[in-house]
Amino acid sequence: MKKPSLHPLTWWIWAGLLAIAIIRFQSTVLSLLCVGAVAGLVFWLREDAPWGRSFTWTLKLSLWILMIRTVIGMLIGVPIPGNTVLTLPIVQLPSWMPGIRIGGAVTSERLTSALSEGILICAIILIFGAAASLTSPHRLLRTLPVYIYEFGVSIVIATSALPQLVTSVSRIRQAQLLRGQSSRGFKSWKRIAIPLLEESLARSLDLAAAMDSRGYGISSKRSRYRPIKLSYLDSFVIIFSIAVVGVS
Amino acid sequence: MIKFSNVSLIYPNSTTTVLENLNLEIAEGEMVLVIGPTGSGKSSLLRLINGLVPHHTGGILAGDVSVDGISTQLVKPGGMAHLIGIVGQNPLNGFVTDTVEEELAFGMENLNLPNDVMRKRVEEILDLLSLAPLRNRTIATLSGGEQQRVAIGSALVTHPKVLILDEPTSALDPIAAEEVLSILQRLVHDLSLTVVIAEHKLERVIQFADRIVYINGQGETKIGSPEQIMVDSPIAPPIVELARALGLHEIGTTVREMRRMTQNLRDMKYESVEPATTSNKSLRIKIDSLSVSYPGHNAVKNFTANIHGNEIVALMGRNGAGKTSLLKAMAGIAEHAKGSVEVSGVNPQSLKGKSRRESIGYIPQEPSDLLYGQSVNLECEQADRDNEVRPGTTAALLEQLVPGVSGHTHPRDLSEGQRLGLALSVILSSNPQVLILDEPTRGLDYQAKRELVSILISFAQSYDKCVVLATHDVELVADLATRVIFIADGEKVADGTTLDVLLSSPAFAPQVAKVMSPHPWLRVRDVTAAIEIS
Repeated sequence: MKKPSLHPLTWWIWAGLLAIAIIRFQSTVLSLLCVGAVAGLVFWLREDAPWGRSFTWTLKLSLWILMIRTVIGMLIGVPIPGNTVLTLPIVQLPSWMPGIRIGGAVTSERLTSALSEGILICAIILIFGAAASLTSPHRLLRTLPVYIYEFGVSIVIATSALPQLVTSVSRIRQAQLLRGQSSRGFKSWKRIAIPLLEESLARSLDLAAAMDSRGYGISSKRSRYRPIKLSYLDSFVIIFSIAVVGVS
Repeated sequence: MIKFSNVSLIYPNSTTTVLENLNLEIAEGEMVLVIGPTGSGKSSLLRLINGLVPHHTGGILAGDVSVDGISTQLVKPGGMAHLIGIVGQNPLNGFVTDTVEEELAFGMENLNLPNDVMRKRVEEILDLLSLAPLRNRTIATLSGGEQQRVAIGSALVTHPKVLILDEPTSALDPIAAEEVLSILQRLVHDLSLTVVIAEHKLERVIQFADRIVYINGQGETKIGSPEQIMVDSPIAPPIVELARALGLHEIGTTVREMRRMTQNLRDMKYESVEPATTSNKSLRIKIDSLSVSYPGHNAVKNFTANIHGNEIVALMGRNGAGKTSLLKAMAGIAEHAKGSVEVSGVNPQSLKGKSRRESIGYIPQEPSDLLYGQSVNLECEQADRDNEVRPGTTAALLEQLVPGVSGHTHPRDLSEGQRLGLALSVILSSNPQVLILDEPTRGLDYQAKRELVSILISFAQSYDKCVVLATHDVELVADLATRVIFIADGEKVADGTTLDVLLSSPAFAPQVAKVMSPHPWLRVRDVTAAIEIS
């Protein structure tokens, strides 16, 4: 089956509207369902390209955020009465900080509220992560109006440098491992950082020279090869998303 | 078309001039080859033509460079884009977009060409460089040869009058290199395109060149026809070395010319020399039904081989045939490897720290990945400390490999050959049992290559050790290797002595073998030795 291809802007509008819906509903179950559906969509539609892999990174990031959010929610906050699960020692705070408590009894109600808030935040991050991994930054750039093109290109160079940086790190790390150096700890980062910096600097200079010698920016007008147009599917997805937000 | 008048160039913070008083006129439809030792300023000369030097790099330029009557002093590189196409040393660094088609269109979009013109020209270039099947592919997934073709295509698509290429074949296998060069040759003849190429591997390009510019590294240049320059040039392909060794009064630059000149020599009778049989040495690397697979494709399929001490094994094959994956598996760092690999009886994946350094030395494609010191001295001292050898051992090794490197230089400022030398001496100071090199001759000139060959041979012979290297460089293999393993698509296709494997395929035969066929001689010294005996 041919994968449907949507306009890059559609994905971003869709992500924005979905995020609004999630905030409006404030429902953990619904957000979890949403995340599941979005993940399925991403694994089905994403391309095998550096930006396609960014969803996995967002997934890892949001799990970290969920964990940190829950731990902090347990430690700090307004006490919620209920069944006590465990009791942490209370840290005495000065009298000018009333109403805030660090430590103390952790009730199951407090745990669930921290968790569900965390899930809401993560769902929103994941939805935008999905939009990022479904649209090539270069394609997105081409749909933007010409007058912000200059600004856009510097962003594109930055975004295309990032995935390359990741591959370079693993390559250099491997080489250092072969020299019998450990790949952990602060010292190993210094060993990796120096060749890495050198390489990315050389690469950006190469790219700048290449763009310059291919006449980038010499004409105030740019023509477009194969402009990307909105299709019926695009309008359908956008109208449907707006309807969902409207209902909520 | 291109005119250099009294050009001198000096970079800031440097005491030596790169070019001194260069006068050169290149006519339309000429193919000019720029040669010289590494770091002699070949790239600078090329980038002077479209003004990247000094507009992009800084430096003081005296004299004037003009292309089609436009001086680079008045116009920035972008203003020359319709006139000059330039392909850099590493095309992957210069790609701006994701897919082949968009990359081809990028230059035309900049020049604000109308859409229908762009469509026509993209199709034209896709056909010309046989890129049509790749039009929608992501550039990052293409092989080296294909990427090189895309880079050339995106330079040609704006219909420039001049095409500049910096080492267009250094990363390519012999067949892909041949393909790229014959396309250039066709463009020169069909469209009267002016082409300027810098290249180290003269054996690949010299037959296409109309003229050669030789830069000696001290700013002096010599310009002449290939025959004139090759009479006394210290940089010469094996075919010229052969003519010199045989004392021919003329020098041929193509296999055809040389075969005519050596007709009598080849007709004589020669005693066949029995190759020296090597006694059985200790088993160093044992590979048994190894497979390496990445998501989507299998890089190495069911590979079995034993490598003994004293052997120098060359892995050859197309770009993307699985050479690097195989080397990584031997070093124990390939992920998703199935089957068994043993280096001196131990699984290399279990090796760590000092025991790893003492059993396997690995030089990756980018030798600078291994280096992180702030100066050559610091790097050498670190290696001494790591390997618990007498202080100064690594520095002494380096002095032997590449004499005259200042200890205070930053590794980044070394030339390609010097950097490889430094990485090699760091690795060799731990005295490993097995030495693995991935594409060691990228960007090395003939002099540096000769040194590398003598070091590797003495390493393999004196201590019952083995060397495994992956390379595209046929001449290096002929000089160095005792055995060649040829792989295609991850499978072993041929495995035998260098002589057998190289002579059996014309694309991978070295120049001397092509000239002297059917005699089984690979190197100049094989020919002279055979003549002396009879």
